[in-house]
Amino acid sequence: MSDPSDAGRVHDHLRTELVRFVRALRRAGASVPANAAPTAARALAEVGVADRDPARAALRASLLTDHEDFETFDRLFEAFWRRLTAGPDAGDRPARDEEAPDGVLAPLGVDEAGEPTADRADEDGDHEPERDDADDSLVGSFPAGPSGSTDGDEGRTTTARYSPSGSASAVEGGLPPDGGELGPAFGELTRALAGLPGRRFRPGTDRADVRRALRSSVSTGGTPLSLPRRERKRTAVRALLLVDVSRSVLDVLDRGFLVEFLRRAREAWRRARVFLFDEDLREVSEPLDAPTASAAMDALEAAEAAWGGGTRIGGSLATLHRTAPEALDRHTVVFLLSDGLEMGDVSTLERELSWLARRSKRVLWLNPLAAAESYEPTARGMAAALPYVDGLFAFAGPGDVAELAGQLRRQGPGGRVGYRFDSRATRHRPTTERPTHDA
Amino acid sequence: MNDGPTTAFADVTETDVRDAFEAADYVAEDDIVTTVLLALRLGKPLLVEGEPGAGKTELAKVLASGFGSELIRLQCYEGLTAEHALYEWNYTKQLLAVQSGEEAPDRSVFDEEYLLERPLLRALRSDGDERPPVLLVDEIDRADDEFEALLLETLSDFQVSVPELGTVRAERPPVVVVTSNRTRPLSDALKRRCLYLHVAPPSFEKETAILRRKVPDLDGVVAAELSAMAARLREEPLRKPPGAAETIDWARAVASLDGSENGTLTAATIRNTLGCVLKEVEDVERVDEALLEDLLEAADRAAAGEGP
Repeated sequence: MSDPSDAGRVHDHLRTELVRFVRALRRAGASVPANAAPTAARALAEVGVADRDPARAALRASLLTDHEDFETFDRLFEAFWRRLTAGPDAGDRPARDEEAPDGVLAPLGVDEAGEPTADRADEDGDHEPERDDADDSLVGSFPAGPSGSTDGDEGRTTTARYSPSGSASAVEGGLPPDGGELGPAFGELTRALAGLPGRRFRPGTDRADVRRALRSSVSTGGTPLSLPRRERKRTAVRALLLVDVSRSVLDVLDRGFLVEFLRRAREAWRRARVFLFDEDLREVSEPLDAPTASAAMDALEAAEAAWGGGTRIGGSLATLHRTAPEALDRHTVVFLLSDGLEMGDVSTLERELSWLARRSKRVLWLNPLAAAESYEPTARGMAAALPYVDGLFAFAGPGDVAELAGQLRRQGPGGRVGYRFDSRATRHRPTTERPTHDA
Repeated sequence: MNDGPTTAFADVTETDVRDAFEAADYVAEDDIVTTVLLALRLGKPLLVEGEPGAGKTELAKVLASGFGSELIRLQCYEGLTAEHALYEWNYTKQLLAVQSGEEAPDRSVFDEEYLLERPLLRALRSDGDERPPVLLVDEIDRADDEFEALLLETLSDFQVSVPELGTVRAERPPVVVVTSNRTRPLSDALKRRCLYLHVAPPSFEKETAILRRKVPDLDGVVAAELSAMAARLREEPLRKPPGAAETIDWARAVASLDGSENGTLTAATIRNTLGCVLKEVEDVERVDEALLEDLLEAADRAAAGEGP
């Protein structure tokens, strides 16, 4: 177990305690990189363990990657330091002693090859049980919600439910499988919206492509006859997603589908900040980055992003305006997901929407109710909002996302788009007049 | 302990770091000193996070000046590309070479001679006689995610691959300082290659010490008053809480206005110079009469030597 070359600097006891400490940190939810323990061991070897404060700073620098974990670290460090100073005989041995020192031993030697494996094994051991827990509780955390996600395109419009009164009628639990039909539809949407230059180039008109000009000029003895130009492919999307999670929306929209949509947006788009609102507004961008949909759901719960209050769209937008105006700029596409059943002041809604429309590239309103064939945007808030939005779309399942993407692709976001031009059903509705609103 | 290139700073001691900070009037807690020392000794990049104005960039500058190294700075922005960060070919020169036909047919124009170094490559190839350079990758959170991937090779192996030329490897790896304002989370791949340092907003004592060092012509009592007020302001839910840099600006403004009467600040002076610390109109509006009273009270307590 002991490495003679390092015997004087980091001995067994310290190694064991360090591994225990790293495990405790991971178990407490701190994000500790896989190769952090070896780095920490080297750091301790450099500063020594004679004094508490340098050792603490060294471990913090090498183990942590986020200052939000500092509190956890400080709490656990006390125990670590106590055990360390108590000496090897005082403390009890860690549960899985035999594999413990490996993570630290290997890198203390010259060879680096062994370290990531040993350490990753550690991590897996720690996290497996938690993951199981998450799966178990998942079943409980998804109550009813009409699930349209398993229907084909053919049946889509008929399965969407119009229930503004707010009682869930269909009871189908569970998530749509990760990926599912949303994948291709979402890819379409991304391509339709992409307006920001990405990293790759394509032949275009922006800038001279000197590299190509040079290469082609070799064949003409170094005289460039034509000057190829290039531009960046527009592949990136910057979006702001404002999601109404009031009771009336949740009754008609499948939560699994919603979370899946939001997660994909976070993942695929260059910048997508997500805010939930019912009576007030809160940001949930980071919880959504969890590795699986169920973990995201747990993270949302942990973030106390409560679902299902009343709807105050205008007030929530005003909060956004006040607290996070930097969330949108003129390249941002704003998705406002709401049924438009505004309970607050409609004039506030109009004022804030006009701000939103001025500041952003596009405002697209996604309305789960608009999936119903007979839908008319007559709800107070919805009617008031119409002049400010670039398109009102149905949003109840992957089919709607595909339709949204298709329309945006054909017409462009400023064109004649919206639920009224839905290609999947012949909709008998007036296409010329806007419904008058009584605000 | 001899994996990777050996660092030129393996023999640096804590006293050296302290002296370097001291020489540049950089006030640092023990935490910062230890972490910087480790980054130097282990030869690992240092990822510095913290609020804007906490002195992240300053840290790299101080390191460079304190150890007599060259500072190579790469300011990140959205759309930053390899041509701006790593290297670019000198096309004009290449074109001329091809046209003049001087080059033998078997010699390529993609050669050392036609390579333009950008900051990352320059940091790796710098061959000064003294210390290796300090590479500052500033505000990496402003660059897009994809750019981080570009950095990984540089950060972990201190090398850059140029397809036409091969791999350029640093003989003496530079000291790398990466700063982030946390406007977006960084990738795990990047984070695990770095040592992590979080620079917290300065405490009252630290800030007073900073003001005394940075603005020596300011009265000592006024410095304490300003620090106390800055600390009080940070308690408010401001859109942009003042960092140490803002407080220094404020102190300079007050010192140049000489707005203190008998060594204490007046409400009017504070009101007029508030633009130095608060940079959002909403924040300035938040300072009403009541808050101004509070600020003056905090200043009085500080002047009386009771802390904030």
